[in-house]
Amino acid sequence: MSRMSESKFVESFKTAHGDKIESAEMLRSMRASVLVKRETFIEVAKVLRDEFGFTIPVSGGAIDYPKEDRMQMMYYLMHPEERFILIYRVDLPREDLKLSTLTQVWEAMSFHEREAHEMFGIEFEGHPNMIPLLLPPDWKGGHPLRKDFKGEGVAE
Amino acid sequence: MSEPEIVPDIMRISWGPQHPMSGQTRILLDLDGEKVHRIIADLGFTHRGIEKILENRTYLQGIVPIERMVMADTPNIGLCYIKAIEEAMGVEVPERANWIRSLVCEMARINSHLYAFGLQAESTGYFPAVFLWTTVDRAWILQLFAELTGARWSLNFFLPGGVYKDLPEGFENKIIEGVNYLRRRFQKYWDAMVENYTFEMRCNDVAILKPEDAIRLGATGPVLRGSGVAIDIRKDEPYAAYGDLDFEVITEDACDSMARTKVRFREIVQALNMMEQIAKEIPDGPVRTRVPFFARPKAGEYLSRVETSRGELGVHLFTDGGMNPYRVKINSPTLRNMYVFERLAELDEILMADIPVVINSIDPWYLDSDR
Repeated sequence: MSRMSESKFVESFKTAHGDKIESAEMLRSMRASVLVKRETFIEVAKVLRDEFGFTIPVSGGAIDYPKEDRMQMMYYLMHPEERFILIYRVDLPREDLKLSTLTQVWEAMSFHEREAHEMFGIEFEGHPNMIPLLLPPDWKGGHPLRKDFKGEGVAE
Repeated sequence: MSEPEIVPDIMRISWGPQHPMSGQTRILLDLDGEKVHRIIADLGFTHRGIEKILENRTYLQGIVPIERMVMADTPNIGLCYIKAIEEAMGVEVPERANWIRSLVCEMARINSHLYAFGLQAESTGYFPAVFLWTTVDRAWILQLFAELTGARWSLNFFLPGGVYKDLPEGFENKIIEGVNYLRRRFQKYWDAMVENYTFEMRCNDVAILKPEDAIRLGATGPVLRGSGVAIDIRKDEPYAAYGDLDFEVITEDACDSMARTKVRFREIVQALNMMEQIAKEIPDGPVRTRVPFFARPKAGEYLSRVETSRGELGVHLFTDGGMNPYRVKINSPTLRNMYVFERLAELDEILMADIPVVINSIDPWYLDSDR
């Protein structure tokens, strides 16, 4: 396995599809990152799976940046031959947390999207089974992993 | 969980969380006669919000709660978080500390796999004795843990910059003694269980997971390697002393419950070999670089990966220059394998009576998937 594969991937990806994404970079060895626009989110995901061979879905999760008024949804993908991790990100404004579901490309993202939905309140459009994953069915405390979560309404 | 609707002519059975074989989760089984039509996992019974807890602790304090994710495998879990902290702080780990880390991680892997192995014996219904054997043999490892770290289960032995203490005097000989004892025991396990006709009947050709399905559904750890896909973080991205140790990625091609059990069995044997190598070849030197107690690493993001007993664990640490992490995203292996388990009924014909065997061949640890 050559140690150059992540940077090679970033270069070739930028040349071929640079207009559809915000940025692509190498974080360190074995870690690449692609930030995509919301409009081309599914299209680029299909390119990553079919053209670049990221067939292993690892995980997914979100992070909240209330000061910058945005949330970021992150998907972790792995390349079966090169074995490096690609973090596939998309920024969402906090007042409009809607995203097409990635289960249409990698169906194993189902659990991770369910978790991001209950923990952050992100709506995944077209998700086949959007029910809470970890929180109780009668949970009324809001979205626990948001930064402005204070625990109100939990102990009722 | 609000339950999905039941299809006509299908019976729904709620299995767990009080069932002896289910662990702390509930599994809904839609049955068509004896055949399992659909599996729905209802997770979250042990959700403690570890990701949120870590945001309210300093970096060092966070090591204690994150290790509670998998009690049988605490060093591997803690190491993943500590590796991320070390990357954030730019700390170099002394070589001897790296070897001790590998030693403790492999001991924990044996502990965890032996537990899984015992449960697999129990779930086939014929071998409660094997569960007792593995419990007794695990005591040997727990005793060594107690001598080395002062604790039997939750070790908190690793720290950013190394390990807490050096090996006690004469510890290497004790390891070799124990390794020889366990090797003799393992021949017994193999004869009494793995090659036993009844065990073979229960496990062979049950719940076949083809390699392409394992990759597509995001399987990890022994489940993925039991389907013949050789992915192991210890080889792909060597951490601790794994770059210097002799081992290979263990795979089985049968893709059934038996293959997943055999992968675990052979990984124990390999872990014993690694322990012997470490006891003989461990280099001298310091075991710890001092790190300030309230360190503030510079802002950034750090993703570390570790091969735990159940598969790939990832800790994605976001720092903003403060005393606490900004966010810790934990990529848990059991959550990935539980999705595979949910879809198994579509891939292969599974009978109701096989469910305990199938779920223990996945080796779930619900405190890990729920966090």
